[in-house]
Amino acid sequence: MSHEHTARSHTGRHHHHKGGHRHDTGGSSIDFYACHSRIRHWNPGFRVGFSIILLLFCILANHPAVSCVIILTAAWITVGMGGLSFRRYFSVLTIPITFILLGSAAVAVDFSRQPIGDFHLYLFWGYLYLTYESLLNTLFLILKVFGAVSAMFIMTLSTPSHELFSVLRKARCPSLIVELMHMIYRYIFILMEVQRNMRISAESRLGFGDFKTSCYSFGQIASNLFIIALKKANAYYDAMEARCYDGTFAFLEEEHQANPKHLIAAGIYLTALMSFWLVIR
Amino acid sequence: MNEPILQVNDLHYYYNDNQAALNGISVSIYPGERIAVIGSNGAGKSTFFLNINGVLSPEHGEIFYHGTKITKKSLPELRKNIGIVFQDADNQIIASSVKAEISFGPMNLKLPREEVSRRVNMAMEYMNITEYGDRPPHYLSGGEKKRVAIADIIAMEPDVIIFDEPTAALDPLNAVMLEEVLEKLSAEQKTLLISTHDVDFAYRWAERVLVFCDGQIIADGTPLSVFQNDEVVKKASLTRPVMLDVYEELVRNGLLADAGVYPRDMREFRELIGK
Repeated sequence: MSHEHTARSHTGRHHHHKGGHRHDTGGSSIDFYACHSRIRHWNPGFRVGFSIILLLFCILANHPAVSCVIILTAAWITVGMGGLSFRRYFSVLTIPITFILLGSAAVAVDFSRQPIGDFHLYLFWGYLYLTYESLLNTLFLILKVFGAVSAMFIMTLSTPSHELFSVLRKARCPSLIVELMHMIYRYIFILMEVQRNMRISAESRLGFGDFKTSCYSFGQIASNLFIIALKKANAYYDAMEARCYDGTFAFLEEEHQANPKHLIAAGIYLTALMSFWLVIR
Repeated sequence: MNEPILQVNDLHYYYNDNQAALNGISVSIYPGERIAVIGSNGAGKSTFFLNINGVLSPEHGEIFYHGTKITKKSLPELRKNIGIVFQDADNQIIASSVKAEISFGPMNLKLPREEVSRRVNMAMEYMNITEYGDRPPHYLSGGEKKRVAIADIIAMEPDVIIFDEPTAALDPLNAVMLEEVLEKLSAEQKTLLISTHDVDFAYRWAERVLVFCDGQIIADGTPLSVFQNDEVVKKASLTRPVMLDVYEELVRNGLLADAGVYPRDMREFRELIGK
C-alpha cells in the first residue's frame, strides 16, 4: 500500500495534499516552492498586503471579467516573476480547483417536486434540476473563488511560513498567537515524521493487513504519538531553557526595504482594475 | 592558571524519590580541557549535564562557575557560558529557518541586532552552513541538522561546550567533520565535554576520561590509565579501545618493543612501526 503512495507522489499529483507536508522527493510542497521563489526579496508586508487586497477586491467586485483579470495577473506574478514552472503551479492549484468544482456542483443543482428547469434528473422522491441561469451563476462563482484563491497563492507561493509569521507579528497580531504558530509549524513536521516511522514499522509487521488490524494499529499509533509528543515537549523545553529562553520568542528577521517602484506599480494596477470594474458594472 | 572553570561538589539528583540519578558527584573541570564522559545508558551522564548547566536543579550539592557559587539568580549566567548540544538535533531545532534558529540563543541574550547578525553569520561560516541560511530545517539531512544544532550553541559563544553523544547518528564523513570542528573549538581554548559510547574516539581525542556508573564517577584520569584499569572497565561494562588491545598484544608477543608510547590512532601507529 505504501508503494502505491510513493508511486503517486512521484508523478507529482497531489491527491491528499496537506499544506506543507513533505515527500521524500523533497520537491512537491508549497513551502518548498515558497522558499525558492524568485520574488522572495520583495518586502514581505507588500506581498501579503497586495495579495489580501486583491483577494478582497475579487470577492467584492463579484464580476467574472474582474475575476479573470485577477486570475491571469496572479498567474503572471507567480509563474512569470516568481519563477515557478507552470506545470507545478497548475498542480498546486488542482486541490482548490477540485474543492471548488465539487462545491459548486452543489450550488448549481436544486431540488423540486415538479420537473422544471432546463435539465432534470428524476431521483426517488423528486427532481434534481439545472437551469441555464444557475449554470451561468455557478460559472461566475467558480471564477470568483478561483480568482480569490490565485490571489492568495501569490502570497503563499512566495512567502515561507517564518516570514508570514513575522508579518503577522509586525501587524500587531498578539505575540502569543504568533509564537504558537512558530512552534506548531515546526512540530507538525516532527510529529509527521514520527507518525510516518511508526506507520512504516507497523506496516512492515503486517499491522495493516485487514480492516480490524488496521483500526487497532491506527489506534495504537495515535495514542503513542500523544505520549511521544509529551516527551518531546519536555525535551524541547530543556533545550530552549539551555539557550536562556525566558518566555519570549525572538528571532532575527530579515529586513527587506519596500521598493517604491513596486508600490507605485501596485497602485496603478489596482486603480486600473477598479476603474475597469466601475465601467463594466 | 589552574583555577577550575567549573567545580561540582557532592551533587545529588533524584528523578523519583527512591531512584538516584546522581549519587554524590564531585569533579573539577579546568579551562581548555578535553574530557570524554563514558558510561552505560542510564549511568547519569545526561542528567549530570543538565544539572551543571542549570536546567535541572540538584537536590543537594553545589556548583561553582569561575569560583562563584551558582544560585537560582545566577542560573542565566551559567547557561550563557555552558552550552549543550543535544543528542537528537530534532529535539533542539525550533525555528522554521536555519538563520532564525541560530539567532534564537543570541536574541535571548538580549544582544543588539548587529551583534546577533554578526554571531549568526560567524556561526554559519564556522559550521559551513551559510548556504542553508534560509532553508527550513525539515529539509535538511541528519548531518546538516547536527551542524545547525552545533552552530546554535557556537553563536552563544560559551566557554564550556557539552556534546551529548554527538557521533550517535552521524555517517563517517560527518563524524570526521565533527572531529574537525572539535579541533577548531579546542584551539580556541574552549572547554569541551563529550559524552560518548565510542571508546576508540575517547581514547584518541580526550585528555581526560570520566567514567560514570550508577550515578557516580568511578574513574577520572587519562584515557590510558582508565582503560588499563580492568576493574573499572568491567564495572562500567566498557570495551577496551582497539588500538590499545592491538598494541598490548603486539608487545606481549614480542613483535614490538615496549617503548611505553601507546599510539592513539592509525597515524601514530604507522609512525611507531615505521621507526
